[in-house]
Amino acid sequence: MSDIKYLETHEWYLINEEVITVGISDFAQNELGDIVYVTLPEVGQNFEKGAPVVEVEATKTVAEAYAPMDCTITEVNSQLETEPETINNDPCGDGWMFKAKVNAIDDSGMSYQEYETFVS
Amino acid sequence: MDKRTTQLHSYHESQNAKFIDFGDWSMPFSYEGTLKEHDVVRNSSGFFDVSHMGRLEIDYSELDKISSLICSDLINIPMNKALYSIFTNENGNALDDVIFWKFEDKIILIPNASNASKIKSHLVDHKVDFIDKSLETVLIAVQGPRTIELINDRFEIPEKFSTAKSDNFMYARTGYTGEDGIEIMASNAEAESLISFLIEKGIKPCGLGSRDTLRLEASLPLYGFELTEDITPVEASLSWTITNEHDFLGSDRIKTQLQDGNHKILKKFTIDSRKIARTETIGMSSDIKGVVTSGNFSPILNKSIGFILFENKPPQNLIEFDIRGNLIEGNIVNKRFLS
Repeated sequence: MSDIKYLETHEWYLINEEVITVGISDFAQNELGDIVYVTLPEVGQNFEKGAPVVEVEATKTVAEAYAPMDCTITEVNSQLETEPETINNDPCGDGWMFKAKVNAIDDSGMSYQEYETFVS
Repeated sequence: MDKRTTQLHSYHESQNAKFIDFGDWSMPFSYEGTLKEHDVVRNSSGFFDVSHMGRLEIDYSELDKISSLICSDLINIPMNKALYSIFTNENGNALDDVIFWKFEDKIILIPNASNASKIKSHLVDHKVDFIDKSLETVLIAVQGPRTIELINDRFEIPEKFSTAKSDNFMYARTGYTGEDGIEIMASNAEAESLISFLIEKGIKPCGLGSRDTLRLEASLPLYGFELTEDITPVEASLSWTITNEHDFLGSDRIKTQLQDGNHKILKKFTIDSRKIARTETIGMSSDIKGVVTSGNFSPILNKSIGFILFENKPPQNLIEFDIRGNLIEGNIVNKRFLS
């Protein structure tokens, strides 16, 4: 398993063999404020890198989380359907959004240190 | 251009507030989170720095002149009462929605922050004299069911929608959250000790984020969204404010609308989901088109709520919203969101 990496659009991903786990960063949840609703994808859906996968409703605004690479959804975090605030409380842990089988590997995300510099 | 900040800006910074630009102002959006602050005001007590709003002092010699500019009866409401009203233009459209505080010796007029300059020019144009107290005072709204019991050792509490005065403060039992509470005008010199007193009492600072979710849940309009210079009080479903029996600016058009009922109309809606129909979302009631003016999540109702402006009277309560390409059903509600 590699380290968590971050995108400029504020998603994080973790590659474990052929599967990625994806969520949004602590910075992103903090900027959005209270998250009240998420629209999750369906298992089996295919996404190209950069395509919107999850819609995140916060009291302040609505935002989207994008696919970090070409992938096919294998699992969604259904806990978020009833407890979307999990993303605020633990964005990089229990607040993960989906897992997906990677169709074209693209491990070009930023390290934690690089992302910290990017957002500061 | 640098944004304006209130007298209490350094306090907000010390509390790690997140700031948001609101017109010319940089104001606290939240401290610990919008939903937490919403909860504090619904269950306990919170305070809002609303010093960005205007504070104009007006002498009773100006009463008739100012009465000809608003749709409500400021003349006959009793002394020491507060009045919500709307300044109208010659077409009967809303220039601003405001609060008046009547005291024995003067009237305080509180316009919205975004409209304060406009209302001051309007008063000058209509030869209404006033003294602008905005720069030398702060305005703090203390709101929530526990507010009165927490502050009644320092403040003599007036009846609801009434005003009171002490050596250092002018205040009224009014608010913008649907909860009990008071709104306090204090000199800049008194501002910090007032905040210290509120904090000592366990009253929490709250930002404009929760002020917006609270006012929406309380079915209260926000100027710039529900009210604009393109809508009359009748169209905004605020006919209850039209108590001025004399002629006022635009009153002919308002009377016509009250009689014929043929006009656009603002309605409230709920959606049985947390999917939010945000400002400018289109909603159809059968073939009558509406545009959402404000929409957000209601923490108490645990569903989406909002205001929608229909082109004419909607024929059915069912609304079909187009939320970013998805058709979502909602319903018009004719009662208040909170009972």
